[in-house]
Amino acid sequence: MSTLTLEEQQISLERSVAPAKYSTGRLGKTLRKTLYSSGAIIGFLLVWELVPQFVLEPASKVFLPPLHEVLQQLWKMIISGDLLTHVSASLGRSAIGFLLAVVIGVPVGLVVAWFSKVGDFLNPLLEVFRNTAALALLPVFTLLLGIGELSKVSIVLYAAFFPVLLNTILGARSVDPLLIRAGRTLGLNNFEIFSKVVLPASVPIIFTGIRMAGTSAVLVLIAAEMIGAKAGLGYLITNSQASFLIPKMYAAILTVAVLGFVVNAALVALERHFSRWARA
Amino acid sequence: MSTIEIKNLSKKFQRTGASDETAVTAIESLDLWIEDGEFYTLVGPSGCGKSTLLDILAGLSTPSQGEMLVDGQPIAGPSLERSVVFQQYALFPWLTAAANVQIGLESQTRHGKGLGKVERRARAHEYLRLVGLEGVEDKYPHELSGGMRQRVAIARALAHEPKVLLMDEPFAALDAQTREQLQDLLLDIWKRTKTTIVFITHGIEEAVYLGQKVAVMSAKPGKIKEIVNIDLQDRQSVDDIRSTQQFGEYRHHIWNLLHSRAAQESPAQFEKTLITSGAHA
Repeated sequence: MSTLTLEEQQISLERSVAPAKYSTGRLGKTLRKTLYSSGAIIGFLLVWELVPQFVLEPASKVFLPPLHEVLQQLWKMIISGDLLTHVSASLGRSAIGFLLAVVIGVPVGLVVAWFSKVGDFLNPLLEVFRNTAALALLPVFTLLLGIGELSKVSIVLYAAFFPVLLNTILGARSVDPLLIRAGRTLGLNNFEIFSKVVLPASVPIIFTGIRMAGTSAVLVLIAAEMIGAKAGLGYLITNSQASFLIPKMYAAILTVAVLGFVVNAALVALERHFSRWARA
Repeated sequence: MSTIEIKNLSKKFQRTGASDETAVTAIESLDLWIEDGEFYTLVGPSGCGKSTLLDILAGLSTPSQGEMLVDGQPIAGPSLERSVVFQQYALFPWLTAAANVQIGLESQTRHGKGLGKVERRARAHEYLRLVGLEGVEDKYPHELSGGMRQRVAIARALAHEPKVLLMDEPFAALDAQTREQLQDLLLDIWKRTKTTIVFITHGIEEAVYLGQKVAVMSAKPGKIKEIVNIDLQDRQSVDDIRSTQQFGEYRHHIWNLLHSRAAQESPAQFEKTLITSGAHA
């Protein structure tokens, strides 16, 4: 009991001290934080490099080559342009599906939010669709649309559409009614209330949906490519595994990880940019 | 520039969710006459319907019964003629201070009787200067203090030169010092523009300090209990007018009016009052 009280005191003390620290040692803190957070990654890479060389038996080492072999392979694929082919195939598909999801999802979401009765009617169905894992539907897409580009773009569209749609609805519905009232007293008509108040007010939440959509677009696509494709990073992973090109497989996995990281970071930055006024 | 005439006004709210669909009367047969260019304050307890009354004046809500006329014309929805300053500022957080101030001006332009882009910008700067905010034109609301935000909101309400300024407890969320500064600012603006001002407050002192007339309201249902003429000299010509005997007498008189009502109320009624105020907050 007494330790709890002490902890609480500690917390409140830290809180009261925090702002001063923040303003004086901001750069130092950021640096330390960066070092601290990259420490785990560096440790992981070290384990990857050292464990296969010194711990694993040679038989297992084949399935988990040390990091430097994977990086050598990656470098070869970069030089040959092989990697670029697969990366651009994957990026192209996810970008098209993702952009279509945004272009369709935002306007539909706004309409659904504006006509609340439509929203109430559609909402249960949307919840069902959203909670159905997109990959569960992959066989359906394959059956209906084949194994070509169309089915891949479609599954990405499906996976990215619901985060965009549902966040747009949420954003437009959670606009502070006071702002709408203020808008009316400032002479805005219905359409202007919509375009000048509801839309900008919901932008931060819409962008959260867009970021979620971007992440799932990449994830779902890789999985889809693993099942049936002639190019793309997902294809590269399964194909390398089947051909027993293990370093190549790891190089592809590493690329997927970096790609996912970069896409997410870019979308987070975009989200920050568009919602900077909301972080009061 | 505008007279406001309220005749036999009532407003009832259907209470939804309750098993019995009883209507709550927020305002009952209220009459009020506000002269052109008058500074009118309305003071009353929570749930006396004062915010409801302001909503109806703004055109954001319609009365259940009775009439509300501005210059003899019934109110048909919101209008740029009647500006509102809300307690929670209601600035658009994605717009800069200057852009916020220009919203009403842009509406005027769209209705074909407004200013061009350059003039609008100049007007916004002019009004920000009027409320003592120079150099914050390009700041966003979250970069401003509460007092500054409310100044921007006042500038925004005035920039298109409305006939009536409606203020719904505009200074309630501010600290005491900022509140007094803004009260004086508002008096200055009122003297300069001669805009009719309807000012709602639950602060007795604020009501006396600002108003030429104070309408004291009572709750359950919302009614005008008494209209007190405030006959004080120019507020800012005397040092600390709030401590004068005359000011104290007005304050005490209104306090009595409000207090006698509150004393009659049983706790149960008081709770209902709270519910009512929640229904139209």
